[in-house]
Amino acid sequence: MEDRTDGRNANQLRPLGCSRNILNRAHGSARWSQGNTIVLAAVYGPKSGTKKGENPEKASFEVIWKPKTGQIGKQEREYEMILKRTLQSICLVNVHPNTTTSVIVQVVGDDGSLLPCAINASCAALVDAGIPMKHLAVSISCGLMEEGSIILDLTKSEEEKLKAFAYLVFPNSPLSVIDKVHSSKEEPIEHGIITSVSYGAMPVSGYFDCLERGRAASAAISEFLRRSLQKQSSDDASRAAQ
Amino acid sequence: MEQRWANTSRLTINEKQFIEEALRSEIRVDGRRLYDYRRLTIKFGREDGSSEVQLGETHVMAFVTGQLMQPYRDRPNEGTLAIFTEFSPMADPSFEPGRPGEAAIELGRVIDRGLRESRAVDMESLCVVAGKSVWAIRVDLHIIDNGGNLIDAANIAALSALSTFRRPECSVGGDDNQEIIVHDPEVRDPIPLTIHHFPIAVTFAFFHEGNTLVIDPHYKEEAVSGVRMTVTVNSNGDVCAIQKAGGEGILSGDVMRCLRIASLKASEMTTKIKAAVETYNAEVALKKVKRHPSLIAQKITVPDVEMKEASFQKTKELSADMENSPNQTSTSLTTTKDRDTNASIGRPLNWDPYSSSAPAIVSSSTLPELVGTSKDANEDQMMQTDEEYDPNLKKDQIGSATGVSSGIHKQNSPPKSLKDAVKPKHKRKKNAERGAR
Repeated sequence: MEDRTDGRNANQLRPLGCSRNILNRAHGSARWSQGNTIVLAAVYGPKSGTKKGENPEKASFEVIWKPKTGQIGKQEREYEMILKRTLQSICLVNVHPNTTTSVIVQVVGDDGSLLPCAINASCAALVDAGIPMKHLAVSISCGLMEEGSIILDLTKSEEEKLKAFAYLVFPNSPLSVIDKVHSSKEEPIEHGIITSVSYGAMPVSGYFDCLERGRAASAAISEFLRRSLQKQSSDDASRAAQ
Repeated sequence: MEQRWANTSRLTINEKQFIEEALRSEIRVDGRRLYDYRRLTIKFGREDGSSEVQLGETHVMAFVTGQLMQPYRDRPNEGTLAIFTEFSPMADPSFEPGRPGEAAIELGRVIDRGLRESRAVDMESLCVVAGKSVWAIRVDLHIIDNGGNLIDAANIAALSALSTFRRPECSVGGDDNQEIIVHDPEVRDPIPLTIHHFPIAVTFAFFHEGNTLVIDPHYKEEAVSGVRMTVTVNSNGDVCAIQKAGGEGILSGDVMRCLRIASLKASEMTTKIKAAVETYNAEVALKKVKRHPSLIAQKITVPDVEMKEASFQKTKELSADMENSPNQTSTSLTTTKDRDTNASIGRPLNWDPYSSSAPAIVSSSTLPELVGTSKDANEDQMMQTDEEYDPNLKKDQIGSATGVSSGIHKQNSPPKSLKDAVKPKHKRKKNAERGAR
């Protein structure tokens, strides 16, 4: 198995970095970095009114994706749509009906796995803003090599060379005070999958391998996410009033 | 959209009156004096030509990119410079996505006049083949956080990014001497832009019918004041641009006063920007040095043998230190370059969990090539940052120790399970702590 260009092996992730509450005006903000891919996400909390096509009985989300340079094109619109659907499924939309929550994503650096990085950043920003959520979401990119092995957390050059890869989003199991009595009967929540975007053609077995690997890695990322979110929760002040 | 209007944060009458009254006694909302700037922080990103500026609460990012394009017909031997401003909706709840509003266009124009029309950036050096191919430089300004005084902050961001931007070297060649070859940055060093002078924008806000004026208004002060004026001057005292769009009239004596204050502020600001750019350039140069270890190897082969034992100890200590004292390591996972710890970059990112087993694997063959990572010129710099690890280390031992640990990183590659995919917990904590700042 050949070495990857930056010396990692197949299962190694790039160094993760997360900082919260970095902007003054936004209600919630987070900066997430995976190696050289850095994304800044900001959230403006529930504002009154929904857009025309949205269901007024639920809270709606609006995602604005800002690339680093250049015009906004179809790729950005696609990312916005995927991000919106993902966030809608993890947030409790019945708590604040007829409101719009805006999530703004700014790409600061792009070295592969841009969409997973953005999803992780948006999740952290939503937590920073205090938007009610069912559970957190963690996202990872998995690539399928020719001989069938899986590599995690792709860089840009790897994405360009690989025949097929996928971005996967898994739920993060919520910590709860009450012990789940029925946990033995049902599948644990991490076995679900929220979003999957695949590029290129891959055999079905390859896709399932990606899912397995991705799920295992998502445990590590969600551990990191929880730790970094819990650490900073002490100095939160309500900024919605300003 | 009316909903957006309803969602903007509006100042209450009490706040407005308070700000105005306080200014009568020369007291500002954040405790500054009338002619004080807020704290300025300039950070640079990983690539050339990207900067992040924080002026108090205002946060602006600038990215500079270059492309080869055809020149304008009336200026066939000059490059082009274009400024694009993005008022990101994350900066202010009232900023809407889509077409830029008046304020965004005004900001773009003021910076454009200051930079391009005052000929601060040399355009003729950007010409490759006259009439056919010139460099088109594009500056993208992203307003991330609106804390007031966006023009000044964006101007500083644009200047810093342009100062650190490097364009690839290109030469004319090929069969008919018309082909343009763009050299790879690894092969030939990219070239910086020629900047003749630094036009600094200074924004003034006027209150009480022009009787009180403040510099660097906060966004609440901007909302209260009716009149604003931006003056772009450079440290030579040249006025590059003046912008006063609408609002009440100001006496011409006041305008002259503003120009004088602005030229003072401009020289201060220019020194700050130049200092930040110098530090960044020094770090970049430091990183490049490690590419030529063969030059130094001959010098150190002799003491090499004696130091092997010592360096084993040192690497053990170093690795142990790195594992246990997360705040001190230089292996930064942030993109900002102003942190001191970034300076001792003889080694790649040390997020590898294998480094704790370092001493066992060092072989004599790795030492000579890697000991060379420390040149005499750099040892001073590395000395400063490595002091945190172990003040008792001698200069050359530090060099060899850090050189050795980078070799270790490359050597280890036994197959590991998924558990090792994760960095050890204390390393992650460091990120979170760093992020908490």
